[in-house]
Amino acid sequence: MKQKVLQVSALTKRFPGVLALDDVSFDLEEGEVHALCGENGAGKSTLIKCLSGVWPVDTYEGDIWVNTRRAQFKHIKDAESAGIGVIYQELALVREMTVAENVYLGNEPTNRLGKIDWPKVYADTQSLLEKYNLDLDPTSLVADLGIGQQQLVEIVKALLKNTSILLLDEPTAALTESEVDILLDIIRDLKNNGVTCVYISHKLDEVMQIADRVTVFRDGASIATSHIGNIAKAEIIRQMVGRNIDELFPRRSSSPAKPLLSVTNLTVFDPLENNNCLEGISFTIKAGEVLGFGGLMGAGRTELVMHLFGAFGNRVSGEVICSGKSMHNSAPIDAINAGMMLVSEDRKRYGLVLEKDIGFNQSLASLARFSQHGLLDHHAETLANKKLFKSLRIKAPNVESIVGGLSGGNQQKVVLAKALMTQPSLVFLDEPTRGIDVGAKLEVYELINQLTEQGKAVILVSSEMPELLGMSDRIIVLSDGKIGGEFVSAQATQEQLLQAAMSHG
Amino acid sequence: MNQTKLLRTYSMGIALVLIWLFFTVATDNFLSARNLSILSIEMAVTATLALGMLLVLLPGQIDLSVGSGVGLIGGIAAVLIFNHHWNAFAAMGAGLAVALVIWGLMGTLIIQYRVPAFIITLGGLLVFKGLFWKVIDSETVPVVAGAGDNALSLLTTHYLTPAQGFLLLAVIAFFVIRASVRQRSQRAKYGFELESSSTAILKIFVALQALLLIILVMNQFRGIPLSVVVLGIVAFSVYIITMHTRFGRYLYAVGGNKEAAILSGVPVKKVIIGAYVMLGGIVALTGFMQTAYSGASTTTIGNLMELDAIAACVIGGTSLAGGRGNVLGVLIGALIMATLLNGMTLMAVAPETKFIARGTVLALAVWLDVYLSQKAD
Ligand SMILES: Nc1ncnc2c1ncn2[C@@H]1O[C@H](COP(=O)(O)OP(=O)(O)OP(=O)(O)O)[C@@H](O)[C@H]1O
Ligand SMILES: [Mg+2]
Repeated sequence: MKQKVLQVSALTKRFPGVLALDDVSFDLEEGEVHALCGENGAGKSTLIKCLSGVWPVDTYEGDIWVNTRRAQFKHIKDAESAGIGVIYQELALVREMTVAENVYLGNEPTNRLGKIDWPKVYADTQSLLEKYNLDLDPTSLVADLGIGQQQLVEIVKALLKNTSILLLDEPTAALTESEVDILLDIIRDLKNNGVTCVYISHKLDEVMQIADRVTVFRDGASIATSHIGNIAKAEIIRQMVGRNIDELFPRRSSSPAKPLLSVTNLTVFDPLENNNCLEGISFTIKAGEVLGFGGLMGAGRTELVMHLFGAFGNRVSGEVICSGKSMHNSAPIDAINAGMMLVSEDRKRYGLVLEKDIGFNQSLASLARFSQHGLLDHHAETLANKKLFKSLRIKAPNVESIVGGLSGGNQQKVVLAKALMTQPSLVFLDEPTRGIDVGAKLEVYELINQLTEQGKAVILVSSEMPELLGMSDRIIVLSDGKIGGEFVSAQATQEQLLQAAMSHG
Repeated sequence: MNQTKLLRTYSMGIALVLIWLFFTVATDNFLSARNLSILSIEMAVTATLALGMLLVLLPGQIDLSVGSGVGLIGGIAAVLIFNHHWNAFAAMGAGLAVALVIWGLMGTLIIQYRVPAFIITLGGLLVFKGLFWKVIDSETVPVVAGAGDNALSLLTTHYLTPAQGFLLLAVIAFFVIRASVRQRSQRAKYGFELESSSTAILKIFVALQALLLIILVMNQFRGIPLSVVVLGIVAFSVYIITMHTRFGRYLYAVGGNKEAAILSGVPVKKVIIGAYVMLGGIVALTGFMQTAYSGASTTTIGNLMELDAIAACVIGGTSLAGGRGNVLGVLIGALIMATLLNGMTLMAVAPETKFIARGTVLALAVWLDVYLSQKAD
């Protein structure tokens, strides 16, 4: 019997109108990787926040024991000194500082006069990096690192504080597959060094690879804890959603009709990077079609959809024709008027006004429809809001709930609702299922089917190859800003896509 | 926890009551009809400007130049009337036009050419002050040529007759009740939370009683001041703009998350320039009122008014980062600022102490708001 480093008993946490954790019991064995699975809003992040002192001890009921001592965290600092570190999905690094500066931010070693001992900062960071086999330079600027590497910096930062329990809340949501592999290796290393990890992810393949045990949450309650060897993926899914799911990618293709958007020889200049980020891109998408875009991180997929939507880059050459209209020098509002709509990959930054309510966000891009003589018709607006709120099954008390308080997946649904409300004929979905659970993913896929059946077209950007293969009709793979290959999904394999993704550059 | 939230919502209202109690005890005539009438005019000027400020604070901008602007625009009107014998309406029209153009230009510089609002309007503060002094030649320019009144001077010297006051109340009561009934039936239809009908009736009743009380008190002196009616119209318009128009929604969206707003097709540039143009119009109106209140345009008119306006907004719960704030809060904030000044004047407090007291109250108010909001979470 291994020693329990952390035990939670009868934990209950309420928000106004929501029972986020319902009598949860849960424990961690020393040195294990313990996965938490569950649908959006099941309460996983809330548990993490209770364990890490974000929610102080008097805001929930129940007990938390760390190494047989009753924990009463009032602040994040209390949890840190008990050896609990957290990696959140959103990175909290200062981009203009170096790796070492970030790692030691707030903990800078000083001499008696208060002068920071910089050589020590850099030397210690270096040795920490070496200890965990991390390939990072302490002197590089965080802004110059990829998302995956930034994630590593976060981990090193957490480890610095003598962390023995590391809580990772969807650490891989923004990573590409190769970066995920690196992260999983690091977690294995940590494990060998005696660190116990809690691992939250909606990607069950990762969970099956890395976890020793898995606990499934549903509606705030912990349903079951199992050893990973004793449970199949399908069973985890069943526990999560409470029913069997037969098909993970239920694409129903409809017969493509007239061309909606055609792009010829598009070259786009990126003023920030001062180079051409897209070169010679040509493709057509027809009504009723799902066109997938694959490629590695930085291949230019997001840049492409953002440019087509009028939100990024300067066009050097090429032509974009949408429903017969030539789109040039357009702003997002022109794109929306031409029937396009974008769901961005970064919902917090580009998608939502977090401090406002669901209704405010959903109708923001469609207000023109609800204006009469310059005044808003709240009646019609609320009706439309409620309708989408219901049909997307957003989990919240009502459309007047503040978006910032929703779980990640439900926030994503609000962004989707905003897009759908503009009644677009061409939707760009940039990583639409990032951070959302199996059930919600199915709902998004179902939505894609419905859109194409109504004669609309979808451009789907995704880093998850099974999703790309399963949900697109055709796939274009970008490689370093150029087209690396074009495939009919039904005949393509993951290996072919990967090869195409590395064909240039 | 719920109590903290309630406390936070009503904290500034409570603070206002405490301040009023203090001055009632500390002075003999704070609650006299005459003083309250004066206070209402002073508040009308501060609040009008603060409501304009709200329009640019909501999308996350700021304007430090409004005080100088008040002086300049009032000065232009006074000079046109006194030195050039213009009709007061024409003079005000000219002032208004100048303000709209200037503020439109500043808005354009800020959003089109990306010079931070703080810098542009700090420049404006200096430039307009210089222009102002040039326009009035650093002298005192009366707002009426010869004896009598004109449309400009009447802004702060005209009062409604008692009968007109009561009529106004009746009209307001009718519309408030109608709007409330409509809103309740809609919310009920959507299954939203509804306060019990007795609370709703009580609220309206209390509000109308308060209004009646104000009218009764004002009628004891000279009647409702015209400037208060002007404030009422401005407040109602800003309320409609912020809560019931697309433009208003966009103000909040731009302040809450500018990038998300752009990707939602919000015409951010138009929204920001529009907010500044509206502010320009309000600056002109405040300029006329403030100059009329002094009876003449002099070099000190508008001094530090930008800070009173910002303070009123912030005390009223407006976020300087944008995205949060409303008309009622700003009105309460303006009343607090105006009361402080008025009460301390009655107490014959030295000017230096006045500054210190006002600054302290501002800092305290914001600290209290932050403190309560942290506790409420
Ligand atoms: N600060 C908050 N205020 C109000 N409600 C909240 C708050 N934080 C979480 N909730 C609610 O508590 C429930 C659990 O949310 P939580 O974030 O823990 O879900 P999750 O399992 O992490 O979901 P996801 O997979 O989408 O991240 C949800 O219904 C959510 O809306
Ligand atoms: Mg979560």
